[in-house]
Amino acid sequence: MEVNEFIKKLFDRAAKAGFEASEADYAGSEEFSVSVKNGEIVDYSVSAGMGLGFRALSKGKMGYASTQVLDEDALDLLISGAAENAALIENDDEEFIFVGSKSYPEMDVYNGEIDRITAAEKIDMARRLEKACVSLDPRVTQCEAVEIMSGSSARRLVNSRGLDVSFRENYIGLYAGVLAQENGEVTSGSAIRLARDPKKLDIEAEAAKAVKEAVDGLNADKAISGEYKVILRNDVAGSILRTFASVFSAEAAQKGFSLLKGREGEIIGSPALSIVDDPLNPASPGATPFDGEGVATRRLDIVSAGRLNTLLHNLKTAKKQGVETTGSASKPSYTSPVGVAAHSMHVVPSGLSPEQLVEMAADGVLITDVQGLHSGANQISGDFSLGARGFLIEGGKVTRPVSQITVAGNFFELLKNVTAVADNLDFAFSSVASPDLLIGKLAVAGK
Amino acid sequence: MISKSAAERVLAEAVRSGGDFAELFMEDTRSSSLNLVDGAIDSATTGRTHGAGIRIYHGLEGIYVHTNDTSEAGLMKAARQAASAIGDANAARDIRLTGSIVRNIHAIERLPMDVSGAEKSRLVHAAYQAAKDYDSAIRQVRVSLMGKETDVLIANTEGLFTGDRRVYTRFSVVAMASNGQENQTGSQAPGAMMGYELFRDRVDVEARARRAAETAVTMLKADKCPGGYMPVIIDNGFGGVIFHEACGHSLEATQVALGNSEFCGKLGQQIASPIVTAVDDGTIANEWGSLNIDDEGTPTNRLVLIENGILKNYMIDRLNGRRMKMAVTGSARRQDYTFAPTSRMRNTFIAAGSDDEAEIIATAGDALYARQMGGGSVNPATGEFNFAVMEGYLIKGGKIDRPVRGATLVGKGSEILMKIDRVGKDMKMAQGMCGSRSGSVPVNVGQPMIRVTGITVGGR
Repeated sequence: MEVNEFIKKLFDRAAKAGFEASEADYAGSEEFSVSVKNGEIVDYSVSAGMGLGFRALSKGKMGYASTQVLDEDALDLLISGAAENAALIENDDEEFIFVGSKSYPEMDVYNGEIDRITAAEKIDMARRLEKACVSLDPRVTQCEAVEIMSGSSARRLVNSRGLDVSFRENYIGLYAGVLAQENGEVTSGSAIRLARDPKKLDIEAEAAKAVKEAVDGLNADKAISGEYKVILRNDVAGSILRTFASVFSAEAAQKGFSLLKGREGEIIGSPALSIVDDPLNPASPGATPFDGEGVATRRLDIVSAGRLNTLLHNLKTAKKQGVETTGSASKPSYTSPVGVAAHSMHVVPSGLSPEQLVEMAADGVLITDVQGLHSGANQISGDFSLGARGFLIEGGKVTRPVSQITVAGNFFELLKNVTAVADNLDFAFSSVASPDLLIGKLAVAGK
Repeated sequence: MISKSAAERVLAEAVRSGGDFAELFMEDTRSSSLNLVDGAIDSATTGRTHGAGIRIYHGLEGIYVHTNDTSEAGLMKAARQAASAIGDANAARDIRLTGSIVRNIHAIERLPMDVSGAEKSRLVHAAYQAAKDYDSAIRQVRVSLMGKETDVLIANTEGLFTGDRRVYTRFSVVAMASNGQENQTGSQAPGAMMGYELFRDRVDVEARARRAAETAVTMLKADKCPGGYMPVIIDNGFGGVIFHEACGHSLEATQVALGNSEFCGKLGQQIASPIVTAVDDGTIANEWGSLNIDDEGTPTNRLVLIENGILKNYMIDRLNGRRMKMAVTGSARRQDYTFAPTSRMRNTFIAAGSDDEAEIIATAGDALYARQMGGGSVNPATGEFNFAVMEGYLIKGGKIDRPVRGATLVGKGSEILMKIDRVGKDMKMAQGMCGSRSGSVPVNVGQPMIRVTGITVGGR
């Protein structure tokens, strides 16, 4: 049945079933992607999907259920599922269905131009991208994968207490993975970018970036094991911050999973380090006018010159700690329970260029890729030990490539060891980002 | 889900524009999860995933369209959308499907959705208490239960019309030990293609919780692992993740067909030490990575990947089989209908060898012993892998000396395989979720204890 009718019936039945309040989270998305190899299409995918998440309060406990089918059966499943799940909850936290904020930020991140790009044009773009990758350097003989993707998504949060907010966005993006070969050695390089404006998707520039990364990595050696000054390139610094972003969650802290518990107001990082969550920045894929509970979002200074101002809160964690919500309720999918997460977290850039950071380091290692963040990083201890590659920095210059090395440390120590921050903040494809960071010391293992 | 005649009409529509093969995959999944933190259940969810994907081949091109609308009209629309990607030719083809019954080798007794909340609650509380009671340093425990029942229907223009039911149950526990300044964790996550008989027949949740707590407490007292190049002994069970990452992914046709693997063109050649035999087996009853049929409807099999060091087989799905001109191996998998399938691992393990476990340690000299592995990843094109050691020990002069934490192993798959100099007798498997092009799928990894003569160990 049609979604408005479904939601109306759902709320009616929920009220009859004795729920105090109920909420629907309706999400729809369309996606397109095409991959080419040697000019031929190898993958072509078109999708349209929707889903509806339901949550409702029963005797003060929140029950959740979700569906991808909107029929009579689904109504029953949602009501009975939410009732059963609510009955299982054992903690005494106060739960909220929110009435709505007074006003919401204006946000225009839907670009009609993207919708007008035809499939044929996107196939051409993919072919152009592949051609650009293989024609820039004789050592790049093939691409591992070349893909153009686009998509749009819409979200509506509506509840029985009067909240009814919605938001939609779209993007177009590319991925290029290239392989360079010399003397039997293979290296890879990649570029990935999502754009809200098709004119900002510079195919040739992204190809050049991927090719440069692969070619520059050829003839790499292992670094000699030891402690080094390390520059984390912006994408690497961003992915490390993304991996550890949950330590700033008050929910993690209240449950004892974050070492930042109770540290608000204390110095936790170097004076060079400031971190914000800025969901109002339209350049970020994480831009959003409201959070997972329907609370209006705002820019939040999390860390200012090393001082932890606040952790991230939703309505529940804020109530528990006697503070206001920071609008940081997360609900990554309509199927997810409400949690806490940053929308668009980044390290605040300084006025220094990446080259100036290299000069400041004088001798050290520039890390351009890390692997194993899902397994080699522990948010609870802060420890990380990651496969990596990059370049040696010698005499204030980037010199030889190094690969099959590891870089290891602790996130909380790393925050204190940020010596300098560059100016090259770039969201590229992620809602968590950072400029290049110069770290005073990190352990590198190689030979 | 859909009648045979409706499937025939949808497939005919899909190949109307000149596609030479079409496939319909429909899925209806019910899932539930339960989480306990701090001694209290703090979230419970129920969900239903429902949709279909239509795939068309046009030579070596693969087109995929998926939708939630599984009415015949919705499927016809998706079929037309997929067909239009090939062209605007209009050639009617008569599709005749023949129903085939799949023989179920994975007996299920108690469906996860039928188990009462009270019983689930008892299980997670028992695990919580066991971990808490293990040591006073255990400050926090997170316990989860996951259940999933999936029905699939697969039909294609070669006449296949079949279906399968897949039932999964998994338990996970993360124990955190703390001394106030530092936190360390240990975890266990056993699962199977089973219902709740899992907890009667195979998994003692309290013993698993204590094992997770043991790792956390041991690591809290451990020194940081020194970095460097050294011999490494990897224990059985989840230690098999080394083969999964270092070699398995590079033997998937997903990589091989497009020339993105370091093992391309190496069939019949020696790629591993002669004491290594490795198998990918989708047929083991009730194992986490098993399937009656793969997600293209091909019955699964037991596939020897490496025999005495010689590369014997790749894992091959239908489209990449076309590209490679090789037969499928029942290895096509996908997370759900939103992904086109591709070749993936199932239950992948290094087979039992003949070396004595005590001897492997006693003759290691100075080495790292990885008792419990974490996860890892690989770049199949270059073979560079990395993975995390969750619980490690330094070996000095052939004796276990002390626990160490924070170790990572990095290297190249092709090099590591040749450097395996011991393979123990006691093969064990463990469960994981493997993420790749076609999403996240359940897989077993496994091996006996093995020794590698040298790996770069990342530490501090």
